[in-house]
Amino acid sequence: MAMETDVLIIGAGPAGLAAAFELASRGLEVTLVDESAAAGGQLVQQTQLIRSLPAPFQPMRGFALAEALTKRLAALPVRYLLGHRMIGLYRDGSVGVADEANVFPLKARKIVVATGAAENAVPFPKWTLPGIITIGAAQTLINRDFVRPGKHAVIVGSSDFAVDVALQLADVGVNIKAVVERQSALLARDAEKVAQLKQSGIPTYVNAAVKEARGKGEVAEIDIQLSERVITEHVDLVCLDGGRSPVLEACYQLGCSFGYQQELGGWLPQYNKRLQTDREDVFLAGNAAGISTQGVVLATGMIAGVSVCEALRVIGGEEAERLRSALWKELEVLETTLFPEVWQARLRHMDNFGNPLLKEQFIS
Amino acid sequence: MHIKHHPVLGKRLSETVTFYFQDQPYTAYRGQTVAAALMANGIKKLGLSRKLLQPRGLFCARGRCCSCYMTVNGEDHVRTCLIKVEEGMKVYPNLEDPEVTNDGHGD
Repeated sequence: MAMETDVLIIGAGPAGLAAAFELASRGLEVTLVDESAAAGGQLVQQTQLIRSLPAPFQPMRGFALAEALTKRLAALPVRYLLGHRMIGLYRDGSVGVADEANVFPLKARKIVVATGAAENAVPFPKWTLPGIITIGAAQTLINRDFVRPGKHAVIVGSSDFAVDVALQLADVGVNIKAVVERQSALLARDAEKVAQLKQSGIPTYVNAAVKEARGKGEVAEIDIQLSERVITEHVDLVCLDGGRSPVLEACYQLGCSFGYQQELGGWLPQYNKRLQTDREDVFLAGNAAGISTQGVVLATGMIAGVSVCEALRVIGGEEAERLRSALWKELEVLETTLFPEVWQARLRHMDNFGNPLLKEQFIS
Repeated sequence: MHIKHHPVLGKRLSETVTFYFQDQPYTAYRGQTVAAALMANGIKKLGLSRKLLQPRGLFCARGRCCSCYMTVNGEDHVRTCLIKVEEGMKVYPNLEDPEVTNDGHGD
């Protein structure tokens, strides 16, 4: 049972959905593969207002954005394979897709990898105790599953995302005992959010680190090393904000080359201004092309979509170039507003396209 | 604990389902994942690690960390943060490596 499609998009999050619109609205048949049961990626459980988005989007909450992105695909030639995973490649270049019971080949003219990012752990003694979860998991539990993951919590880390989730946890009745930051100041760049956190009365500790967690079968206590003393908090929930790294398995399997940019999340596939990898039929979008904000994630999806349209000769080179340069300008504004160092890393990464650090490492 | 009235999303939980953890009945709501339904019922320890036999629970809720593997309806190593709870579902912790039988699949 071989399935055929013009463009296979791996990942039905914001980047994949944005790319799908560029492709399907120009008549290409698109297939989206995602292991989740619903499209929208992590937006589905984001209740915070997302302010900076590329045109044509207005500021809206994450779950509303997920709905808007899927709704405009409704009448277009888009096939969803939800609850499906890419698990490998066939000799003829077809992608192996599994639905937990069966595996089948999917033959695509072009592939867009939009696999997003995964959260990093923050290791300390006993960090694996149940009740210690990622900040993203905490948000998923309260906003997707409608479950309060604990009564008394400590948040480890202070990015914009961590502050957002700390406030959301407090809103559903979780007592946040502390926000602990290793650096000398909170990392969140959104001044309004930081002010909200301060107003909420949640203690914030900078120059502080978790020394150890304790508990029998689940977390019960956590020791926090402050500059001159150690405090112990009694908790049933610890949320770790260790930052995020691109999800790369699909790119390993597809044989893309890699470079390293700390600011973009570490290792990531090399790509050019078309968001095209050195495997010419493979394009990238979203956090898989470097960790950034939701607005940038959408813009990269649009750029990848336009580039694939050009590669499949659905639009001409001149038009593609015009659309792409407008999108890159918009992306630059979105990225430099809060994270100029990420934009600089992105430019460096693209400059290194011809000189990857890892090439043909994963072909066995 | 279930969130009956969400400050932003309002009331979303409506249809209850009964599922079984170690043969004991628990109440969850349709649409919740198995791992979340267990946490709502105060169950955080979902199994033991394979090598050191240390307690493990939900960690990433994204299907990546594999910390929430459980046995669901007779199937071992199910990522319970990704699958939805269903009426009558039988859930057991993974306390050791599953017995791998070779029935000709996956060769």
